[in-house]
Amino acid sequence: MKNPELRGIGTVFRYTVQQHYKTRSVIIFLVILFLLAVASMPVMLLLSGRQKEVTETQIASVYLRNETGYAFNPDAVHADARYAGVTIIETAEDDEALTQRVMNEETAAAAVLSTGTDKASVFRSAAAANKNTAASVGEQKQFTIRTYYGEDGSVTGADAETLNRVLEEALHQSLLESLDITEEQEITVNSAAVAQVAKVSEYQSGTEESNLDTHAAVNMAYSYLLLILCAMSIGYVTQSCMEEKVSKLVESLMVSVSPVALLAGKLLAVAMFIFLGFGLVGAGLCISYQIAGHLGGFSFLKPLLEEIMPFRLTALHFSGSTVVLLVICMLLAFAISMGLSGISGSCVSKTEDMQSASFLNMFFLMGGYLGGVFAPLAESDAVNLFCSLFPVTSPFCAFPNYTCGKIGLPVFLLALVIQAATAVLLVRMAGRVYKMMLLYRGSVPKPAQILRMLKEERAAAKAAAGKEAPYGKQ
Amino acid sequence: MGFSVTELYKKYGDKVVVDHLSFRMDEPGVYALLGTNGAGKTTSIRMILNMLAKDGGTVEWNGGPLTLRTCNVGYLAEERGLYPKNTLMDQLMYFAALRGVSKDEAKKRIAYWAKRLEAEEYLYPKQEGRKPVKPKKADQLSKGNQQKIQLMMALLSDPELLILDEPLSGLDPVNTDLFKSIIHEEIDKGKYLIMSSHQMATIEEFCTDLTILNRSKTVLQGNLAEIKKSYGRINLFVKAEQDLKALIEAAGVTILTSVGFSYQCRVTGEAQANELLKTLVAQGITLIAFELREPSLHEIFVEKVGEVHEES
Repeated sequence: MKNPELRGIGTVFRYTVQQHYKTRSVIIFLVILFLLAVASMPVMLLLSGRQKEVTETQIASVYLRNETGYAFNPDAVHADARYAGVTIIETAEDDEALTQRVMNEETAAAAVLSTGTDKASVFRSAAAANKNTAASVGEQKQFTIRTYYGEDGSVTGADAETLNRVLEEALHQSLLESLDITEEQEITVNSAAVAQVAKVSEYQSGTEESNLDTHAAVNMAYSYLLLILCAMSIGYVTQSCMEEKVSKLVESLMVSVSPVALLAGKLLAVAMFIFLGFGLVGAGLCISYQIAGHLGGFSFLKPLLEEIMPFRLTALHFSGSTVVLLVICMLLAFAISMGLSGISGSCVSKTEDMQSASFLNMFFLMGGYLGGVFAPLAESDAVNLFCSLFPVTSPFCAFPNYTCGKIGLPVFLLALVIQAATAVLLVRMAGRVYKMMLLYRGSVPKPAQILRMLKEERAAAKAAAGKEAPYGKQ
Repeated sequence: MGFSVTELYKKYGDKVVVDHLSFRMDEPGVYALLGTNGAGKTTSIRMILNMLAKDGGTVEWNGGPLTLRTCNVGYLAEERGLYPKNTLMDQLMYFAALRGVSKDEAKKRIAYWAKRLEAEEYLYPKQEGRKPVKPKKADQLSKGNQQKIQLMMALLSDPELLILDEPLSGLDPVNTDLFKSIIHEEIDKGKYLIMSSHQMATIEEFCTDLTILNRSKTVLQGNLAEIKKSYGRINLFVKAEQDLKALIEAAGVTILTSVGFSYQCRVTGEAQANELLKTLVAQGITLIAFELREPSLHEIFVEKVGEVHEES
């Protein structure tokens, strides 16, 4: 390594990683994290009560009672290859009679199609009426399909559930036919309308604006992800920085490796640990997704995602390069957080001071997070621009703002430059503070004190005759 | 060739903590840095090792600045410690790697020093019955045994310059002798050693040259033998079976301390001591001991530091 200040980084990194992964609690933590990720989707699937669809049915006949008032077309069921040979017998028998049939016939199932009123739609209708709006939403019907199968027969739960889904689709088709609506008409009527407000300049330049929901959701999701990533590292970095001080090994180490290399090696090891944790969660989720697909498909994911993430990906500036930018932005934010943790960790000599020392970093994280969450609500270009460029909020806001079209590429690139400069400045400062404070014992100094000490240190270095720099750097 | 410190200077705010310290070692041997608590010994060592920024002065090794690249330094710090939860072998291998010692060579050196320092049982797994016993971690060792591991860390790179800050503090007599024998071994290998200690008798056993610091200033410096010679034989110890106080004082000799009929005295020179001896013999007094000797390092230290205190 050319810079003698950096010599030994690799050794420090390897040792820190090696010791970290030799700790049993760390291994247990990672294994649990991975297993939780793996289990997440299958558990959600099981909780949703869905089962894997069958490829071949054991059902020979279905007794169907249609209470909807609309004609049901059995061909829609036969259109599914698995149920092409199934006999659909429409009946008016009551529940008891139907129960007897499925109990007595080994390959029979029963289904009841009924209708009611969607209570939520009634509420919406009443609200619309109170506002004296021109058009009332009206009451919406809610259809229910209940499928029964005999416990002692050859029809399985998965088979009955698959039939239920096929009946659901067939009912939908039947309703369209009954109302004389084509599929195209239905799609056209149900298509979502995106409301956009744009300035003439934006309209002329073709700059798309995503709606507020999407912007707020993207900001919130990104800020939350970043908050977790950075918050996870604070403790590790602080612990790592004070380890040598607490174990009184500092002086012995400093004749072997420069403080900057020592800090850099440790920070890299912590970064690797955090990213490995995230990687394991990611890998676990991929495996989980595969398992869930194997068990019963991904249909359960859609409503869940729609509920927690009102995203319309088409409204986002999302492409392959966006993923690269996302990684860069996260790394820059992580580097800034590491720099701050390095500074605060270097000032700590006792375990009990860890909490107070993390104040600076928590201030950055909470400031950035709140900026990321609340800035979109202001719906102001000036706020978005400020949040994208201000060093505290930039790591949290620049990327979502760019992705949602709130800032242009030049501003986004400027934000990246500001973030990179902040990260470099903080990491370098962390190196200097670490070196200066390694031999310091006492309470955590205030930021102003640290700056004064840094100033004195620099003046001393300049004043020193001979000017030979430590570790051979001239 | 050799090692030199010139005009080393450090201050914190307005307080000078090392005031233009200079000394040199032209050939291998032991140089002692002595001083009261807070005199500036450890700060000087930290500046020599570039741990602290100097406010002035230079430190040279073989004519160039002393750096990690130019000089292979071994350092046993006064403030000692180890990673408490890591195995000792891992820590030793880590230190060896940081000093650029290859894995194989490090293993050989660790084996050598483990045997030499009688620390093998803490480093290598043992077989107790069917169960292998895991090697120990640092927090499972006594203070003295941890000190052995730290000395190994300082010696692993086979340093040219060895700096030992209070090397024998906290050791039992057996381990003190073990450490002493290793220090003698390093001297015999032609190493440069800088030692700092409060144990004057220990320093006297090893060092050829010394500097005494008091409140950041150098109060005495030079070759130990010459310093002692310059003082002359002025320390007189007299022991008898009766009270000699009146006779000693009548001879103009100063009694420093007395316990029973034993007297620690200060004479102006050999002539005054001879005069007192003649008087005592003439009086028919049975003497158990009558010894005239040079001052010990301890006495010189106390005297020099005391002088400065009186002046200030």
